[in-house]
Amino acid sequence: MNGWNGKVLEIDLTTQTHKTYPLDMEMARLFIGGRGLGARLLWDLVGPEVDPLAPENVLIFTNGPLTATGYQTSNRFSVTTKSPLTGTILDANSGGFWGMQFKKTGYDALIIRGKAQKPVWLEIKNSEIAFHDASDLWGMRVFALTEKLGQDNNKRNVLCIGPAGENLSRIAAIMNDRERAMARGGPGAVMGSKNLKAIVVEGTIRTEIDDKERFKFMLYETRKLLAASPLTSQALPEFGTVVLMNIMNNIGALSTRNHQQTQFEGAEEISGETLTEKYLVKNASCWACPIGCTRVSKTEKVEAEGPEFETTWAFGAQCGINDLAAIIEANSLCNDLGLDTISAGSTIACAMEMSEKGYIDSDLRFGRADQLAHCVEDMAYRRDLGAEMTEGSLRMATKFGHPELSMSAKGMEMPAYDPRGLQGQGLLYATSNRGGCHMRGNMIGLEVLGLPKLIDRFQVQGKSSFVILNQNSNAAIDSLVICKFTNMGVADEYFARVLGAVTGVQYATNDLIKTGERVWNLERLYNLREGFTSKEDTLPARLLTEAPTDGPSKGWVSQLEPMLKEYYRSRGWDQNGVPMPKKLADLGLATL
Amino acid sequence: MTSVKLFANLRKIAGTKEVFLTARSVRTIISELVTQVPALANHLHENGQIRPYIIITINGHPTADLDAPVNEQDEIAVFPPITGG
Repeated sequence: MNGWNGKVLEIDLTTQTHKTYPLDMEMARLFIGGRGLGARLLWDLVGPEVDPLAPENVLIFTNGPLTATGYQTSNRFSVTTKSPLTGTILDANSGGFWGMQFKKTGYDALIIRGKAQKPVWLEIKNSEIAFHDASDLWGMRVFALTEKLGQDNNKRNVLCIGPAGENLSRIAAIMNDRERAMARGGPGAVMGSKNLKAIVVEGTIRTEIDDKERFKFMLYETRKLLAASPLTSQALPEFGTVVLMNIMNNIGALSTRNHQQTQFEGAEEISGETLTEKYLVKNASCWACPIGCTRVSKTEKVEAEGPEFETTWAFGAQCGINDLAAIIEANSLCNDLGLDTISAGSTIACAMEMSEKGYIDSDLRFGRADQLAHCVEDMAYRRDLGAEMTEGSLRMATKFGHPELSMSAKGMEMPAYDPRGLQGQGLLYATSNRGGCHMRGNMIGLEVLGLPKLIDRFQVQGKSSFVILNQNSNAAIDSLVICKFTNMGVADEYFARVLGAVTGVQYATNDLIKTGERVWNLERLYNLREGFTSKEDTLPARLLTEAPTDGPSKGWVSQLEPMLKEYYRSRGWDQNGVPMPKKLADLGLATL
Repeated sequence: MTSVKLFANLRKIAGTKEVFLTARSVRTIISELVTQVPALANHLHENGQIRPYIIITINGHPTADLDAPVNEQDEIAVFPPITGG
């Protein structure tokens, strides 16, 4: 067996038993690993009758055939489940070291079923599986717990939830290696609903590689490619992702004050340039990563990893806050409590707008950096208004009579890039299978950065073809489970060759992209089975009807309807967004 | 004169966030910028051409048209290759 371990570990928390069985290799060939394999397994395991927080929901952790091979960024892994925030299929992935170590325990997938009668933590050392009482760990925050369970980056790795997950926050994250997060969509709540506090892995099994010489040369070539790309050798190491703040503001696509505006007067103060100048200690890397995009920042109160661009935006421009120190501290607090920073920040912003308009009785106000920390704590512990915020912005806004103030798609809070300034990005959010998410096929490369070429950001006709290509490519990369930043220096066709060298299975570039398309359509089928329809492929009314009154995006709203019609057609779906039989047959999904 | 704002490492190299120039097109703006701030030459030019992935906006609109006209009251922003997620 090359690349894949060929084994699935299934753990039943209700009976505290486990079993191992062979990985279906035909399934592996078609879906590879990571997001793809997770989606295929979830299709069989969790149907529409299952509530996301019921014991019948599962958590599926998957790695891929490249994981732990030492290929650049081969550290990532996925979790797949039904989302408690959106009700859709959800996958989230994370970097760090846990994924590499999990692969070394000898499994391609770990399926967690059922619910423990009282809190437990799991320890997996190759084929030795231990259930430990976590009663005295319940309530612990992530940083302290990670240390207590013996985190050692290269040898023993801790994945856990914090108080947010324990309290079933619908925006709770699963954390790994202290400060890495599988955050979007609330997977931490699923883990908390199972009374599962942590999973610790230690492994010794090496991943077998089919063509070792060819693979060795590819390591060398990839190192050269990443060193030659100014994006991976200079931009990301030097400034991290927060460097996007100024350009998104410059072009009028930086959502501000709960998407009421598209430019923020305080953008410079929360920019990557300011972070580097005033707060940066060093950069850091995940396992086997030469890029080093992670920031380590220091304020008077904390020294911690992060923040990323999205976090800085969510607690920054979206909340009208220009205090970067407060943002850094809020980010660290989210990591320690186990919360998704994008949803947390954007939900606070929603609450700020509702408060200012008198829809809720609160002193929350845009610009109040001093309110961030207690909002985050209140969300994790379900205190006061935090008990509503922790349900996500859509549930909160609906409860108080104003669902239109939730800046979400399919119930997931959207990230920074404003669709009124980026037409393709709006289509991306509206059609994303897990809800408002930029990581499904970010269009800023094409619409802003000229990567690989610049297209007209306000163009509507023909935009869907770019979105589809990005979505399929991203789904493929998520199924290899490597970091998307590698794609800034290495083309998709190269990944197909690497996959072939490792597994011995020959993938052409088309095969790899087709895998991504297959995964995308399977996720779509899953959501349709859950009862989602084309009605949910939409954006908040604010983005469809309220144009910015100044700035470069002045006068523009999202032209979603014509783009969506074109998108369905180009995807081979009918006018209701249902994949047609011919498309499913072509992708090998006809029997589902 | 036209305002040319610099971002990311270009600021550090130039020692300033903003430069004022007189030029008629994107291409000549960059040439003037390199003339005024020679330290930027290797970062903006390669074999006499503007380097790939340099991002230029005119009044907040990204452009790949090096011959796009620039007026005195326009605001130009120049970014080195950057990315994120």
